[in-house]
Amino acid sequence: MRSYIATFYSHFGAVRFRRECLARGNPAKMMPVPRALSSSCGTCVAFEAEEAETEDPYGEIEQIVEIADGKYIPIYKAENL
Amino acid sequence: MDIKKERIMILAAGLVIGVIAVVLVLAGNPANMGFCIACFIRDTAGGLGLHRAEAVQYIRPEIIGIVLGAMALSLGRKEFSVRGGSSVMTRFILGFFVMVGCLMFLGCPFRMILRIGGGDGNALLGLAGFVCGILCGVLFLSKGYSLKRTYRQPLSEGLVFPAVQAAFLVLLVMAPAFLFFTAADGGPGGKHAPMLLSLAAGLIVGGLAQYTRLCMVGGIRDLVLFREPKLIIGFAAILAAAFLGNLVTGNFHPGFAGQAVAHTDGLWNFLGMLLVGYGCALLGGCPLRQLVMAGEGNTDSAVTALGLLTGSAFCHNFGLASSGAGPTENGKIAVVIGIVVVTVIALMNTRKENK
Repeated sequence: MRSYIATFYSHFGAVRFRRECLARGNPAKMMPVPRALSSSCGTCVAFEAEEAETEDPYGEIEQIVEIADGKYIPIYKAENL
Repeated sequence: MDIKKERIMILAAGLVIGVIAVVLVLAGNPANMGFCIACFIRDTAGGLGLHRAEAVQYIRPEIIGIVLGAMALSLGRKEFSVRGGSSVMTRFILGFFVMVGCLMFLGCPFRMILRIGGGDGNALLGLAGFVCGILCGVLFLSKGYSLKRTYRQPLSEGLVFPAVQAAFLVLLVMAPAFLFFTAADGGPGGKHAPMLLSLAAGLIVGGLAQYTRLCMVGGIRDLVLFREPKLIIGFAAILAAAFLGNLVTGNFHPGFAGQAVAHTDGLWNFLGMLLVGYGCALLGGCPLRQLVMAGEGNTDSAVTALGLLTGSAFCHNFGLASSGAGPTENGKIAVVIGIVVVTVIALMNTRKENK
């Protein structure tokens, strides 16, 4: 399993994403967005998965990064970010 | 930046901000009002003639500095990002009623901390109300409350609010006859630190708040939602620095009666700050945070700040604002209406998770 963090345009987006992660059997928890990822003080979801799901049917995901060797590696950014 | 470093940074920033607040009082700002976002926006509204309460009229450079300081740092860090379009009118109304709550209590969450640090026991009741209000907001957040997402906007849109602040600074420096200034002995508006010192203090606080994301509401919200104390460390650090600074400078006066720019009506101190905490939790940040985000290019926050400005003018034009003598009947009615309106907004913007 790999570790990821997804940030969102709204708190609700994080709530829904976490619920869907758990429904897929992927461990996920909500937490404040790390400063290194954004100057926003919103909510993100830290989750684990074999491979991150980058489809965004609700248009809520701002970005997804993979955590590897203590660094954030961008794997998805919304087009208008 | 790892979490430990983030916590150390916000602790240091909080201490610096608390010391700056104490210094501003020594330099001329009203007691326990080194910073007060609500009071200073209200004073600015008065300075511009949006209300005619003669005791509170002065374009406060601290507000201008916070916005421009946050903007400068966000530009330097490549974090200036113009976005908006998230339930704009709803945010305006929330900003309006947050100001109604602030002027019932006589201070924003920032000044609430400074008042506690100065020994004002009335602010402890405000803090209790503030926490209860945030818990109400968090309840709706956990049920699916959202003001919907933001969208990217043109650069020019994000520059408007900082440009308006820069224009206010030009007006203050030029002091044309159509501006209003409270006389030196005419009330809180007449008490202020030298302009350049106030501006510098605002720039530093704006920069620090942008870097650390300091937020009075976010601290309690994150502690409740995630058991994450990071932001509340900043809150505590401001309190500690203000408390020690006031002790050292002889400005610590514990008690309830006779506190500067404060009243002793516990119920309405509580309810005023409940409205503030409730509204700010739904907005996603305290008035300070709204100014900082507006400086970063967030036009939703800029509109919220305009809601605060408009609210302050209404409060003084319609006799809603409290004074040292206590709250007004009009103010009490407005706070109750505010709690009802905020609840309606919360209910209307809460959706089931699966929709």
